[in-house]
Amino acid sequence: MSFKETDVINIVIAGTAGQGVITLKRLIEFAAQKAGIKRAFGSEMHGLAQREGAITSHTRYQKEIFEEERKNLHSPLICYGDADLYICFEPVEALRRGIFASNKTTFVLNSWTIPGVMITANLEEYPSLDKIMETLNGYSDEVYFINATEISIERFGQSQQVNLIMLGFAVATRKLPFIELGHYEEVIKERLRDPDLNIEALHLGIKEGSKILKNSLKSKV
Amino acid sequence: MQVKDARFIDEEGKVLMLGNEAIVRGCLEAGVSFAAQYPGTPTSDIGETFQRLLREQPELNDFFVHHWAINEAVAASECAGAAWTGCKVLNPMKHVGLNVASDALSVIALNGPNPGAMVILIGSDPGSLGSHQEQNERFYTWMFHLPCFEPHTPQECKEWVKLAFELSEKYDTIFEIRTSTRSAHSRGYVELGKLVKGKAKGKFIRNIPKYNSLPPHAINNHIRLYERIEKIREIIPQLKINVIFPGGNKIGVITSGMPFGYTMEALNQLGLNDVPILKLGLIYPLNYKEITDFLQKLEKVVIIEELEPFLEVKIAEIAHNHKLDVEIIGEKYFPKYNEYSTGLVATCLAKIFNKKPKEQMSKAIDYFNSYKEIIPSRFPTFCAGCPERATLYSILKATNQLENTVICGDIGCYVMSFFPPQECSDLIICMSGGISAAIGMSTKTDQKVVALIGDSTFFHTGMPPLAEAVGYNSNVLLIIFENSWTAMTGHQNDVLRYLINQGFSIEKICKAIGVPWLKVEDSYNPKKLTRTIEQALETYGLKVIIIKRECALQAHRWRMNQIRALKEQDKKIQEVEYFIHGCQMCYDCARVLSCPAIRRTEIDGFESMQIDQDRCIKCGVCYEICPNGAIHKTIFNALDTEVGWREI
Ligand SMILES: Cc1ncc(C[n+]2csc(CCOP(=O)(O)OP(=O)(O)O)c2C)c(N)n1
Ligand code: SF4
Ligand code: SF4
Repeated sequence: MSFKETDVINIVIAGTAGQGVITLKRLIEFAAQKAGIKRAFGSEMHGLAQREGAITSHTRYQKEIFEEERKNLHSPLICYGDADLYICFEPVEALRRGIFASNKTTFVLNSWTIPGVMITANLEEYPSLDKIMETLNGYSDEVYFINATEISIERFGQSQQVNLIMLGFAVATRKLPFIELGHYEEVIKERLRDPDLNIEALHLGIKEGSKILKNSLKSKV
Repeated sequence: MQVKDARFIDEEGKVLMLGNEAIVRGCLEAGVSFAAQYPGTPTSDIGETFQRLLREQPELNDFFVHHWAINEAVAASECAGAAWTGCKVLNPMKHVGLNVASDALSVIALNGPNPGAMVILIGSDPGSLGSHQEQNERFYTWMFHLPCFEPHTPQECKEWVKLAFELSEKYDTIFEIRTSTRSAHSRGYVELGKLVKGKAKGKFIRNIPKYNSLPPHAINNHIRLYERIEKIREIIPQLKINVIFPGGNKIGVITSGMPFGYTMEALNQLGLNDVPILKLGLIYPLNYKEITDFLQKLEKVVIIEELEPFLEVKIAEIAHNHKLDVEIIGEKYFPKYNEYSTGLVATCLAKIFNKKPKEQMSKAIDYFNSYKEIIPSRFPTFCAGCPERATLYSILKATNQLENTVICGDIGCYVMSFFPPQECSDLIICMSGGISAAIGMSTKTDQKVVALIGDSTFFHTGMPPLAEAVGYNSNVLLIIFENSWTAMTGHQNDVLRYLINQGFSIEKICKAIGVPWLKVEDSYNPKKLTRTIEQALETYGLKVIIIKRECALQAHRWRMNQIRALKEQDKKIQEVEYFIHGCQMCYDCARVLSCPAIRRTEIDGFESMQIDQDRCIKCGVCYEICPNGAIHKTIFNALDTEVGWREI
């Protein structure tokens, strides 16, 4: 799918508090600014300190704007069904915020689960990854899992790089048009601690992500 | 070296900012020199940004002061005091904060902020995204005559703060900027302007009629306020902040703030780009001519606003007074509760204009509704190792799962007590509403009445009801969480910590007020705490237990920083690990304590609880309470440096 410069690009990022959802959202927005994007407007939720709640953010940008103001981006929230890309740090969070998806959506999901306290208490059930995949397929064929947490722990000895690995995977889907790899790298250098490590994670995400996308293409053919 | 945020230093260019950051930037461009506030979503990060800038740019301290006030009423009067020396002052608060500040503001509004200027920044919260309730506090703007801007983008946030200060000074009137959780926390481009240094010092000039509210001055000031508002009403068109998007349709729309964005996108989606739109920048007061000119050409006008109809009432009043034959619709089609969205606005507009909503959208809604039952809940819950959660464990144990017991909850992280599986709260009113309700309830029931309160809430409004409970010797057990932070709103470094550093404590206050039965406990010692709660509940009269244990999130951060620093000096550190072996699946740790670092899993085909080492902060509470001795503790490098918890 190719995008026109006047298209509004819609990205949902979902996860649990403390996973780096907001950091990733900001990275994309600041990279978009470096790429000369004319309008960006996105909503991020913060305010509560606790680490356990569900978190979603909406990133929206438009490379060039229409002369007719009414056709442009005006809301920081995506309309139901209008997301181009979902980046989910935790599988059920994709289901929880699924309402923004449709057949044009690509999902990239971290397959590492974080069961809430009700699951541990055995008072609610966590759906299987197969069930999650099958449910998301009701929106779109483009649903891809990567075990970003395991990759991060294996390569970096900690789970902190999950968000950059997920960004790499998202970049590989080409659903973040008009922003170049170099723009992300610049922003990482300016804004993150351990930039080398994070740039490595970004590249790792692109590499592993591309493999997953290629394999799925093969299986579809 | 402190890295400086160039977005608050540069004087030209375009930067990405949140609405709240843009507000701060606007203040710096307007020459503001004082701000006071009590934290509350979505306004806390305004203060955090000010505090950060004061650290990054120490020279700001030469003229700018920011206070974390003890509550909103105090903050409002503080601001008035500073304004009356001739300074420009900002007073942010969340929507319910305005309820607390309203007593002070009702008078300051009459007096007027001159010779200085005062802007209140109200963070509304349609949809209750970060609050315990939703309310349409717009009605205060009418009640107290507070001209009110509703920005939509960060650019408007910045520009209109500047404009509000200019007008406030000129018309001796408090102006309001009304954001929402959504607009405060949305990011967009902001065009930077010149920075203006605020006044380092002013001077109060005596003016008895202006500043002493009692008849006849109160009445005269009220008359003067009407005059000021009428002058402002007159000049609105010159401000050019209310904008018309023209169109030939006979049905028009009036809207403002965030709903404007949803409306624009919804109309575009429905192919209704000929609908004329009046976007209000200032929602109170309204300029009659501006409104009637817009209504004149229409058969119907749709008012799109969140919560109770405010503009709808005001516009209907204008149409009625000017005998305009136009139908005004709003609440008939739009909900009067919760937050709006493009989808919702499109759905309502589709009905009004007899259009079909976009298929992509209706499909998404229907499909989502078809599976939503399988989504497990994920409500906010206490952090791993939270001392408040551990206290609930002891309450549940001491009362045999709340048998014959009522828990009067309150607002702080412990507001989450009512969530399952602990379900350890029976009611929540407002900050310090718990202890107050408990006083009344205890006179009418023989059930055991327990009230919860945090330290910040205690200072906010909790001391007066405690004094009353002492006075009546109410049969209540009050549990005070002295975690040394205003935790829920993001750990603002407030007066509380200053007082604690001065050797001051809640224990001393309780003693001074005359609490007859007082214990200081630590919830990381759950068995002892359980016994103390049992004793308290066997005693008649007022009992207070202070839980003295730092917020786990902050304590853990501090401890990890200590460890990192020591490791950088090549010191070896003693490490503790808790692990589960021989789990009997009794669920005490999962249902009564319910620490989120514990997960249910399968080991060699047997169900077992397991500790997520990545999330465990090593508080040791699960180890203390496991009735089967299945939670074990290992110490690595036992002879090396031990980094314990910090004293609070
Ligand atoms: C009138 C009012 N102002 C502000 C808030 C926002 N608020 C909710 S909880 C809270 C902090 C409570 O702190 P504390 O009592 O110390 O409890 P903790 O979160 O530390 O457990 C604040 C400021 C509110 N709910 N009501
Ligand atoms: S922020 Fe602190 S007080 Fe609040 S839940 Fe977390 S540990 Fe507990
Ligand atoms: S020691 Fe136990 S209760 Fe404390 S944080 Fe770790 S798992 Fe949770």
